[in-house]
Amino acid sequence: MDRIGTARYQRHELIDWFSQQRLADSRVAVIGAGAIGNEVIKNLVLLGTGAVDVFDFDRVEVHNLTRSIFLREEDVGSNKADCVARRAAEVDPNVSLRAFAGHFRDRLSLAMLERYDCVISAVDNFEARIQLSQMCRLTAVDLVNAAIDSRWITVECFPFGSADGSACYECNLPESAYQKVAARYSCGGLRRRAQAERRVPTTAITASIAGALAVSNALRLGDAADPRARRIFADSIGGASRVTSLDRRAGCPGCGTSASPPQVLRTRNRWLSRHLSGEFEPSLQQHLVRLSDALITSYACRSCGPVPGAERYLRRRAADFDDSIAVCPQCSQNAIVIEVRDVFRLGELGEMFGPEAVPAKYAIVEVGERSFCFDLEEDAGP
Amino acid sequence: MSDEIKIQLRTADQTRLAELDLDAASTAGDIIQAAVDNWSLPGDTDYTLVNTTTGRALVPGEALSKSVRPGDLIEVQPVLVAG
Repeated sequence: MDRIGTARYQRHELIDWFSQQRLADSRVAVIGAGAIGNEVIKNLVLLGTGAVDVFDFDRVEVHNLTRSIFLREEDVGSNKADCVARRAAEVDPNVSLRAFAGHFRDRLSLAMLERYDCVISAVDNFEARIQLSQMCRLTAVDLVNAAIDSRWITVECFPFGSADGSACYECNLPESAYQKVAARYSCGGLRRRAQAERRVPTTAITASIAGALAVSNALRLGDAADPRARRIFADSIGGASRVTSLDRRAGCPGCGTSASPPQVLRTRNRWLSRHLSGEFEPSLQQHLVRLSDALITSYACRSCGPVPGAERYLRRRAADFDDSIAVCPQCSQNAIVIEVRDVFRLGELGEMFGPEAVPAKYAIVEVGERSFCFDLEEDAGP
Repeated sequence: MSDEIKIQLRTADQTRLAELDLDAASTAGDIIQAAVDNWSLPGDTDYTLVNTTTGRALVPGEALSKSVRPGDLIEVQPVLVAG
């Protein structure tokens, strides 16, 4: 059946600035299936978007039910992405809905990301928003970033795919946001076990406004081809809204000094073996490589010295552990000194890993005026 | 040439408004801190500044003189993070 020709989309077809075919051809990733994520997905499926992929690692809690149209009491304890995608699929069978249970950093490769027309960020912390911005900039995929509290709505558009030299999420992020990210980690760079997150109150009202603005901008409804990075800031009580241009920041921690993102090279973690086999020039050994993920490079007790079994932590991602591993299994003191790094010399990485895979998503290398991003992951599929 | 810039500063809900003479070398961070302190804004929230006269956000860490002209109206907006 020709889905565009069905009566389902009859009213849309009466709108002269609305292309149902363009929507049917669109692929959108929604990161976060919480309050905003539910509203975003609701709008995407009602509009007849071609493909919607939903990513969330979190499980449904009962308090989610006041803001999440696709969640029910029976879902408590289940993965949010699974529940939301399943119910949203009931709305329009023409829309392809897929759930990815797990953290987007683990489920979403750069190669997979490139296949989306747009990513909508509906996550709940600065760290994830920063990571998504960096990934979308690298892959030149438009990013719409939506956030709320109990009164205000922010929807930010970063046209990485459709405009050159767009500002990124970090270009306008205050220093205090980085302090919040840092507070989630111990001095050694490991995630704190008992870090109390600030609970921001939100409502279905702000979530629904954010969801509507995010989808309208993501799908460029009305051909809103505004090439600027911009922020829409809206007041759910007074009704006022303001659109602000977002400029690039010189020396931004996210996009650096270059207006162009690094060239992505599909090495699939075979880059080091190529380096070892002499394919790269020997002079490249001294080049600095910045990995997407910090690695544990040393692990020893301040009192006892070397720790038996330390090998199981070394060369692994720091993000895979929390600060419980800072307690020495020999003296039971919080005395383990852990070195965590994300910058290495290429030759040093070769010595550490040889032909083995480096446990990181990507690596960025600057060679002269140019920078390259080695995509280290296998393609996770269509 | 004066090293000070006279601006108007207000909160997003427009319940607070002040006219300020600021050092042209001040940054967005300096102004936000002064607003939080003087207006007792919630300290656990992050803020950003928007020049409503030009429609541009003030880049963190950048001197005020680069993006603000005398008489501009600057708005303090919360940086939202919940989803």
